[in-house]
Amino acid sequence: MKQIDEGEIIGRVLGGDREAFAVLVDAYKGPVFSLAFRMTGSTQDADDLTQESFLRAFQSLGRFRAGERFFPWLYTVSLNVIRNHLRKAKALPEGAAGNAVPETSDPSGDAAYAAIGRERGRRLQGYLLRMPVPVREALILRFYEGLSFEDIASVTGDKLSSAKMKVYRGLKKIRVMMEADGFVDDETRS
Amino acid sequence: MKDHELEKIIGALDGKGFSPEAGEPGSHCKELDAIAWMMREEPSLDPPAGFGERVMSRIRAHRPSLWKVLGEALLRPHEVSFHPLNALRSPVSGQECSFYFIMVGVFYAILGVILMVGLHKLGASLVTPGWVRWQPQIALVTAGCMVAIGLYLLKDGKLALRMARIGSLVYLGFALLNGIFVSLEWDVPVSAFMSLLSALIGLPTGFFLIRTIQNCGKRYA
Repeated sequence: MKQIDEGEIIGRVLGGDREAFAVLVDAYKGPVFSLAFRMTGSTQDADDLTQESFLRAFQSLGRFRAGERFFPWLYTVSLNVIRNHLRKAKALPEGAAGNAVPETSDPSGDAAYAAIGRERGRRLQGYLLRMPVPVREALILRFYEGLSFEDIASVTGDKLSSAKMKVYRGLKKIRVMMEADGFVDDETRS
Repeated sequence: MKDHELEKIIGALDGKGFSPEAGEPGSHCKELDAIAWMMREEPSLDPPAGFGERVMSRIRAHRPSLWKVLGEALLRPHEVSFHPLNALRSPVSGQECSFYFIMVGVFYAILGVILMVGLHKLGASLVTPGWVRWQPQIALVTAGCMVAIGLYLLKDGKLALRMARIGSLVYLGFALLNGIFVSLEWDVPVSAFMSLLSALIGLPTGFFLIRTIQNCGKRYA
Protein backbone atom coordinates (compact mmCIF):
# COMPACT_ATOMS: atom_id res chain seq x y z
CA MET A 1 0.00 0.00 0.00
CA LYS A 2 1.26 3.43 -0.88
CA GLN A 3 2.40 5.66 1.92
CA ILE A 4 0.05 8.63 2.02
CA ASP A 5 -0.33 11.52 4.39
CA GLU A 6 -3.84 10.70 5.58
CA GLY A 7 -4.06 13.66 7.92
CA GLU A 8 -3.30 16.09 5.14
CA ILE A 9 -5.78 14.44 2.75
CA ILE A 10 -8.54 14.41 5.36
CA GLY A 11 -7.85 18.07 6.05
CA ARG A 12 -8.24 18.83 2.35
CA VAL A 13 -11.50 16.87 2.12
CA LEU A 14 -12.89 18.64 5.18
CA GLY A 15 -11.81 21.90 3.61
CA GLY A 16 -14.08 21.18 0.64
CA ASP A 17 -11.75 19.36 -1.78
CA ARG A 18 -13.89 16.27 -2.45
CA GLU A 19 -11.54 14.98 -5.13
CA ALA A 20 -8.84 14.43 -2.51
CA PHE A 21 -10.99 11.61 -1.10
CA ALA A 22 -10.13 9.59 -4.23
CA VAL A 23 -6.65 9.01 -2.77
CA LEU A 24 -8.16 7.35 0.30
CA VAL A 25 -10.56 5.30 -1.85
CA ASP A 26 -7.68 4.13 -4.01
CA ALA A 27 -5.52 3.22 -1.02
CA TYR A 28 -8.15 1.29 0.93
CA LYS A 29 -10.66 -0.06 -1.58
CA GLY A 30 -8.91 -3.46 -1.69
CA PRO A 31 -8.93 -4.20 2.06
CA VAL A 32 -12.48 -2.91 2.52
CA PHE A 33 -13.77 -4.88 -0.46
CA SER A 34 -11.98 -7.95 0.83
CA LEU A 35 -13.55 -7.50 4.27
CA ALA A 36 -17.02 -7.06 2.77
CA PHE A 37 -16.62 -10.09 0.53
CA ARG A 38 -15.36 -12.34 3.34
CA MET A 39 -18.24 -11.22 5.52
CA THR A 40 -21.00 -11.70 2.94
CA GLY A 41 -19.66 -14.22 0.42
CA SER A 42 -21.04 -12.24 -2.48
CA THR A 43 -19.08 -10.03 -4.87
CA GLN A 44 -22.17 -7.99 -5.70
CA ASP A 45 -22.91 -7.32 -2.03
CA ALA A 46 -19.23 -6.64 -1.39
CA ASP A 47 -19.18 -4.08 -4.20
CA ASP A 48 -22.31 -2.33 -2.89
CA LEU A 49 -21.19 -2.43 0.72
CA THR A 50 -17.71 -1.14 -0.09
CA GLN A 51 -19.22 1.79 -1.97
CA GLU A 52 -21.60 2.42 0.90
CA SER A 53 -18.73 2.23 3.41
CA PHE A 54 -16.71 4.88 1.58
CA LEU A 55 -19.76 7.10 1.22
CA ARG A 56 -20.50 6.74 4.93
CA ALA A 57 -16.85 7.45 5.77
CA PHE A 58 -16.98 10.57 3.62
CA GLN A 59 -20.16 11.76 5.36
CA SER A 60 -18.72 11.08 8.82
CA LEU A 61 -15.23 12.39 8.16
CA GLY A 62 -15.97 15.41 10.34
CA ARG A 63 -16.10 13.08 13.34
CA PHE A 64 -12.68 11.61 12.59
CA ARG A 65 -10.28 12.74 15.30
CA ALA A 66 -6.99 14.25 14.26
CA GLY A 67 -4.10 11.99 15.23
CA GLU A 68 -6.25 8.85 15.06
CA ARG A 69 -5.27 6.20 12.50
CA PHE A 70 -7.59 6.31 9.51
CA PHE A 71 -7.49 2.63 8.63
CA PRO A 72 -9.02 1.19 11.85
CA TRP A 73 -11.58 4.01 11.81
CA LEU A 74 -12.55 3.13 8.24
CA TYR A 75 -12.82 -0.54 9.26
CA THR A 76 -15.19 0.42 12.08
CA VAL A 77 -17.38 2.38 9.66
CA SER A 78 -17.31 -0.49 7.15
CA LEU A 79 -18.12 -3.12 9.77
CA ASN A 80 -21.15 -1.11 10.86
CA VAL A 81 -22.36 -0.95 7.26
CA ILE A 82 -21.78 -4.68 6.81
CA ARG A 83 -23.44 -5.58 10.12
CA ASN A 84 -26.53 -3.57 9.17
CA HIS A 85 -26.66 -5.34 5.84
CA LEU A 86 -26.32 -8.77 7.45
CA ARG A 87 -28.98 -7.89 10.01
CA LYS A 88 -31.37 -6.94 7.22
CA ALA A 89 -30.45 -9.90 5.06
CA LYS A 90 -30.73 -12.24 8.10
CA ALA A 91 -30.16 -15.53 6.34
CA LEU A 92 -27.84 -15.95 3.42
CA PRO A 93 -29.32 -17.32 0.21
CA GLU A 94 -28.59 -20.96 -0.45
CA GLY A 95 -25.35 -21.56 -2.27
CA ALA A 96 -24.01 -18.07 -1.71
CA ALA A 97 -21.09 -19.49 0.18
CA GLY A 98 -18.02 -19.29 -1.93
CA ASN A 99 -19.75 -19.45 -5.28
CA ALA A 100 -18.54 -16.10 -6.35
CA VAL A 101 -14.99 -15.91 -5.13
CA PRO A 102 -13.39 -13.23 -7.28
CA GLU A 103 -10.57 -14.38 -9.50
CA THR A 104 -7.13 -13.62 -8.14
CA SER A 105 -3.84 -13.97 -9.89
CA ASP A 106 -1.70 -16.87 -8.71
CA PRO A 107 1.85 -15.67 -8.11
CA SER A 108 3.34 -19.14 -8.66
CA GLY A 109 1.78 -19.45 -12.11
CA ASP A 110 1.12 -23.13 -11.44
CA ALA A 111 -2.42 -23.99 -12.64
CA ALA A 112 -2.77 -27.10 -10.43
CA TYR A 113 -1.58 -25.22 -7.38
CA ALA A 114 -3.97 -22.40 -8.20
CA ALA A 115 -6.89 -24.83 -8.51
CA ILE A 116 -6.11 -26.35 -5.10
CA GLY A 117 -5.80 -22.89 -3.64
CA ARG A 118 -9.15 -21.86 -5.11
CA GLU A 119 -10.87 -24.94 -3.75
CA ARG A 120 -9.34 -24.36 -0.33
CA GLY A 121 -10.35 -20.70 -0.43
CA ARG A 122 -13.90 -21.60 -1.44
CA ARG A 123 -14.23 -24.04 1.43
CA LEU A 124 -12.76 -21.63 3.97
CA GLN A 125 -15.17 -18.97 2.76
CA GLY A 126 -18.03 -21.40 3.25
CA TYR A 127 -16.93 -22.16 6.81
CA LEU A 128 -16.62 -18.47 7.57
CA LEU A 129 -20.16 -17.82 6.43
CA ARG A 130 -21.44 -20.49 8.79
CA MET A 131 -19.86 -18.70 11.75
CA PRO A 132 -21.67 -16.24 14.02
CA VAL A 133 -21.01 -12.70 12.73
CA PRO A 134 -18.81 -11.54 15.67
CA VAL A 135 -16.56 -14.60 15.38
CA ARG A 136 -16.42 -14.20 11.59
CA GLU A 137 -15.36 -10.57 11.99
CA ALA A 138 -12.59 -11.46 14.41
CA LEU A 139 -11.20 -14.23 12.17
CA ILE A 140 -11.29 -12.10 9.04
CA LEU A 141 -9.70 -9.09 10.68
CA ARG A 142 -6.97 -11.22 12.23
CA PHE A 143 -5.99 -13.60 9.46
CA TYR A 144 -7.20 -12.11 6.18
CA GLU A 145 -6.65 -8.48 7.00
CA GLY A 146 -3.68 -8.94 9.32
CA LEU A 147 -4.85 -6.63 12.11
CA SER A 148 -3.33 -6.88 15.56
CA PHE A 149 -5.56 -8.04 18.41
CA GLU A 150 -5.46 -4.52 19.83
CA ASP A 151 -6.77 -3.14 16.54
CA ILE A 152 -9.42 -5.86 16.32
CA ALA A 153 -10.63 -4.98 19.82
CA SER A 154 -10.72 -1.31 18.88
CA VAL A 155 -12.56 -1.89 15.59
CA THR A 156 -15.14 -4.31 16.98
CA GLY A 157 -15.54 -2.60 20.34
CA ASP A 158 -14.56 -5.77 22.21
CA LYS A 159 -12.15 -6.27 25.05
CA LEU A 160 -8.74 -7.58 24.06
CA SER A 161 -9.32 -10.93 25.78
CA SER A 162 -12.72 -11.22 24.10
CA ALA A 163 -11.19 -10.62 20.66
CA LYS A 164 -8.61 -13.33 21.31
CA MET A 165 -11.25 -15.72 22.55
CA LYS A 166 -13.38 -15.19 19.45
CA VAL A 167 -10.42 -15.94 17.20
CA TYR A 168 -9.61 -19.06 19.14
CA ARG A 169 -13.21 -20.28 19.11
CA GLY A 170 -13.51 -19.48 15.43
CA LEU A 171 -10.46 -21.58 14.58
CA LYS A 172 -11.77 -24.45 16.66
CA LYS A 173 -15.14 -24.28 14.90
CA ILE A 174 -13.47 -24.34 11.50
CA ARG A 175 -11.47 -27.37 12.52
CA VAL A 176 -14.65 -29.16 13.59
CA MET A 177 -16.38 -28.22 10.33
CA MET A 178 -13.40 -29.37 8.29
CA GLU A 179 -13.42 -32.73 10.02
CA ALA A 180 -17.17 -33.07 9.54
CA ASP A 181 -16.75 -32.29 5.84
CA GLY A 182 -13.89 -34.72 5.51
CA PHE A 183 -11.79 -31.86 4.26
CA VAL A 184 -8.58 -32.22 6.15
CA ASP A 185 -5.85 -30.45 4.32
CA ASP A 186 -2.38 -31.92 4.43
CA GLU A 187 -1.15 -28.76 6.04
CA THR A 188 -3.38 -29.27 9.05
CA ARG A 189 -1.75 -32.60 9.73
CA SER A 190 1.83 -31.48 9.28
CA MET B 1 -10.36 -21.66 29.26
CA LYS B 2 -8.06 -19.65 31.50
CA ASP B 3 -6.51 -16.42 30.28
CA HIS B 4 -2.92 -17.69 30.40
CA GLU B 5 -3.83 -20.78 28.37
CA LEU B 6 -5.49 -18.63 25.75
CA GLU B 7 -2.44 -16.35 25.69
CA LYS B 8 -0.20 -19.38 25.07
CA ILE B 9 -2.29 -20.64 22.20
CA ILE B 10 -2.70 -17.19 20.65
CA GLY B 11 1.03 -16.61 21.09
CA ALA B 12 1.74 -19.85 19.26
CA LEU B 13 -0.71 -18.94 16.48
CA ASP B 14 1.03 -15.58 16.14
CA GLY B 15 4.32 -17.36 15.57
CA LYS B 16 5.80 -16.38 18.94
CA GLY B 17 6.14 -20.04 19.89
CA PHE B 18 5.60 -21.58 23.26
CA SER B 19 7.58 -20.64 26.30
CA PRO B 20 9.91 -23.45 27.48
CA GLU B 21 7.89 -24.05 30.64
CA ALA B 22 4.71 -24.40 28.59
CA GLY B 23 6.07 -27.38 26.72
CA GLU B 24 5.59 -28.22 23.08
CA PRO B 25 2.35 -27.37 21.33
CA GLY B 26 -0.03 -30.29 20.98
CA SER B 27 -1.46 -31.54 17.70
CA HIS B 28 -4.66 -29.62 18.50
CA CYS B 29 -2.76 -26.35 18.47
CA LYS B 30 -0.79 -27.30 15.37
CA GLU B 31 -4.03 -27.88 13.51
CA LEU B 32 -5.36 -24.50 14.53
CA ASP B 33 -2.09 -22.97 13.44
CA ALA B 34 -2.43 -24.66 10.05
CA ILE B 35 -5.94 -23.26 9.61
CA ALA B 36 -4.69 -19.79 10.53
CA TRP B 37 -1.87 -20.24 8.02
CA MET B 38 -4.35 -21.20 5.27
CA MET B 39 -6.35 -18.06 5.89
CA ARG B 40 -3.25 -15.89 5.93
CA GLU B 41 -2.15 -17.40 2.64
CA GLU B 42 -5.41 -16.52 0.89
CA PRO B 43 -4.73 -13.95 -1.81
CA SER B 44 -6.06 -10.46 -1.27
CA LEU B 45 -9.10 -9.51 -3.30
CA ASP B 46 -9.54 -6.45 -5.46
CA PRO B 47 -12.80 -4.74 -6.31
CA PRO B 48 -13.95 -4.77 -9.94
CA ALA B 49 -12.43 -2.32 -12.42
CA GLY B 50 -13.83 1.21 -12.28
CA PHE B 51 -14.80 0.83 -8.64
CA GLY B 52 -12.94 3.95 -7.49
CA GLU B 53 -14.61 6.09 -10.14
CA ARG B 54 -18.06 4.81 -9.16
CA VAL B 55 -17.44 5.71 -5.52
CA MET B 56 -16.17 9.16 -6.46
CA SER B 57 -19.15 9.86 -8.69
CA ARG B 58 -21.45 9.10 -5.75
CA ILE B 59 -19.35 11.34 -3.53
CA ARG B 60 -19.43 14.15 -6.08
CA ALA B 61 -23.22 13.85 -6.33
CA HIS B 62 -23.68 13.70 -2.58
CA ARG B 63 -25.57 16.73 -1.21
CA PRO B 64 -26.03 16.58 2.56
CA SER B 65 -29.26 17.90 4.06
CA LEU B 66 -29.21 21.01 6.25
CA TRP B 67 -29.92 18.91 9.33
CA LYS B 68 -27.07 16.62 8.49
CA VAL B 69 -24.67 19.54 8.13
CA LEU B 70 -25.88 20.99 11.42
CA GLY B 71 -25.58 17.64 13.16
CA GLU B 72 -22.08 17.07 11.84
CA ALA B 73 -20.98 20.55 12.94
CA LEU B 74 -22.27 19.91 16.45
CA LEU B 75 -20.91 16.38 16.69
CA ARG B 76 -17.53 17.24 15.22
CA PRO B 77 -14.97 16.91 17.99
CA HIS B 78 -13.40 20.22 18.97
CA GLU B 79 -10.33 20.23 21.12
CA VAL B 80 -9.79 23.40 23.07
CA SER B 81 -7.08 23.69 25.65
CA PHE B 82 -7.61 26.50 28.09
CA HIS B 83 -5.29 28.01 30.67
CA PRO B 84 -6.94 31.06 32.23
CA LEU B 85 -3.70 32.23 33.89
CA ASN B 86 -1.72 31.92 30.66
CA ALA B 87 -4.52 33.73 28.83
CA LEU B 88 -3.67 36.81 30.90
CA ARG B 89 -0.06 36.78 29.73
CA SER B 90 0.42 35.09 26.38
CA PRO B 91 -1.45 35.04 23.03
CA VAL B 92 -4.50 32.79 22.97
CA SER B 93 -6.52 31.30 20.13
CA GLY B 94 -9.96 32.48 19.06
CA GLN B 95 -11.37 29.14 20.18
CA GLU B 96 -9.99 29.59 23.67
CA CYS B 97 -11.39 33.12 23.84
CA SER B 98 -14.71 31.80 22.64
CA PHE B 99 -14.67 29.19 25.40
CA TYR B 100 -14.22 31.86 28.11
CA PHE B 101 -17.08 33.95 26.77
CA ILE B 102 -19.39 30.96 26.54
CA MET B 103 -18.49 29.92 30.09
CA VAL B 104 -19.31 33.42 31.36
CA GLY B 105 -22.59 33.14 29.46
CA VAL B 106 -23.38 29.80 31.11
CA PHE B 107 -22.60 31.29 34.51
CA TYR B 108 -25.00 34.21 33.93
CA ALA B 109 -27.69 31.87 32.66
CA ILE B 110 -27.50 29.88 35.90
CA LEU B 111 -27.39 33.10 37.94
CA GLY B 112 -30.44 34.40 36.07
CA VAL B 113 -32.44 31.28 36.91
CA ILE B 114 -31.39 31.42 40.55
CA LEU B 115 -32.34 35.10 40.80
CA MET B 116 -35.65 34.46 39.11
CA VAL B 117 -36.57 31.76 41.61
CA GLY B 118 -35.11 33.73 44.55
CA LEU B 119 -36.87 37.00 43.76
CA HIS B 120 -40.12 35.20 43.14
CA LYS B 121 -40.02 33.83 46.68
CA LEU B 122 -38.76 37.12 48.09
CA GLY B 123 -41.58 39.01 46.32
CA ALA B 124 -44.11 37.60 48.73
CA SER B 125 -42.49 39.23 51.74
CA LEU B 126 -40.72 42.29 50.30
CA VAL B 127 -41.64 44.97 47.84
CA THR B 128 -38.79 45.06 45.33
CA PRO B 129 -38.23 48.13 43.17
CA GLY B 130 -38.33 47.95 39.37
CA TRP B 131 -34.60 47.79 38.70
CA VAL B 132 -34.13 44.94 41.16
CA ARG B 133 -37.05 43.02 39.67
CA TRP B 134 -35.28 43.15 36.31
CA GLN B 135 -32.11 41.49 37.61
CA PRO B 136 -32.96 37.96 36.42
CA GLN B 137 -33.76 39.22 32.93
CA ILE B 138 -30.56 41.30 32.91
CA ALA B 139 -28.56 38.21 33.85
CA LEU B 140 -30.24 36.14 31.13
CA VAL B 141 -29.67 38.83 28.48
CA THR B 142 -26.02 39.05 29.56
CA ALA B 143 -25.81 35.26 29.22
CA GLY B 144 -27.25 35.40 25.70
CA CYS B 145 -24.88 38.17 24.63
CA MET B 146 -21.85 36.37 26.04
CA VAL B 147 -22.75 33.10 24.28
CA ALA B 148 -23.40 34.96 21.03
CA ILE B 149 -20.01 36.70 21.23
CA GLY B 150 -18.41 33.37 22.11
CA LEU B 151 -19.91 31.69 19.06
CA TYR B 152 -18.91 34.60 16.85
CA LEU B 153 -15.35 34.32 18.17
CA LEU B 154 -15.19 30.78 16.81
CA LYS B 155 -14.77 32.44 13.42
CA ASP B 156 -11.52 33.79 14.83
CA GLY B 157 -11.58 36.98 12.76
CA LYS B 158 -10.63 40.56 13.46
CA LEU B 159 -14.24 41.76 13.35
CA ALA B 160 -15.23 39.12 15.92
CA LEU B 161 -12.43 40.33 18.18
CA ARG B 162 -13.57 43.94 17.83
CA MET B 163 -17.13 42.94 18.70
CA ALA B 164 -15.89 40.94 21.69
CA ARG B 165 -13.81 43.90 22.90
CA ILE B 166 -16.81 46.24 22.70
CA GLY B 167 -18.98 43.60 24.38
CA SER B 168 -16.49 43.21 27.23
CA LEU B 169 -16.26 46.97 27.81
CA VAL B 170 -20.04 47.31 27.82
CA TYR B 171 -20.26 44.37 30.19
CA LEU B 172 -17.65 45.84 32.54
CA GLY B 173 -19.35 49.23 32.63
CA PHE B 174 -22.78 47.72 33.05
CA ALA B 175 -21.68 45.44 35.89
CA LEU B 176 -20.35 48.49 37.74
CA LEU B 177 -23.45 50.63 37.14
CA ASN B 178 -25.79 47.77 37.95
CA GLY B 179 -24.25 47.39 41.40
CA ILE B 180 -24.65 51.11 42.05
CA PHE B 181 -28.27 51.23 40.83
CA VAL B 182 -29.30 48.29 42.96
CA SER B 183 -27.95 49.82 46.15
CA LEU B 184 -29.49 53.21 45.30
CA GLU B 185 -32.93 51.85 44.44
CA TRP B 186 -33.33 49.26 47.12
CA ASP B 187 -33.14 50.52 50.63
CA VAL B 188 -32.73 47.21 52.44
CA PRO B 189 -29.58 45.60 53.88
CA VAL B 190 -29.60 42.85 51.24
CA SER B 191 -29.09 45.47 48.50
CA ALA B 192 -25.53 46.13 49.68
CA PHE B 193 -24.83 42.45 49.39
CA MET B 194 -26.24 42.33 45.85
CA SER B 195 -24.15 45.37 44.83
CA LEU B 196 -21.05 43.79 46.23
CA LEU B 197 -21.82 40.52 44.49
CA SER B 198 -22.40 42.28 41.17
CA ALA B 199 -19.10 44.15 41.47
CA LEU B 200 -17.17 41.11 42.71
CA ILE B 201 -18.35 39.01 39.81
CA GLY B 202 -18.50 41.63 37.10
CA LEU B 203 -15.25 43.53 37.54
CA PRO B 204 -12.73 40.66 37.59
CA THR B 205 -14.66 38.83 34.87
CA GLY B 206 -14.77 41.94 32.69
CA PHE B 207 -11.07 42.64 33.14
CA PHE B 208 -10.24 39.02 32.44
CA LEU B 209 -12.26 39.00 29.22
CA ILE B 210 -10.73 42.28 28.05
CA ARG B 211 -7.22 41.02 28.77
CA THR B 212 -7.95 37.74 26.97
CA ILE B 213 -9.25 39.61 23.95
CA GLN B 214 -6.12 41.76 23.94
CA ASN B 215 -3.93 38.68 24.00
CA CYS B 216 -6.02 37.05 21.31
CA GLY B 217 -5.55 40.16 19.16
CA LYS B 218 -1.77 39.95 19.51
CA ARG B 219 -1.78 37.19 16.95
CA TYR B 220 -2.92 39.70 14.35
CA ALA B 221 -0.38 42.34 15.36
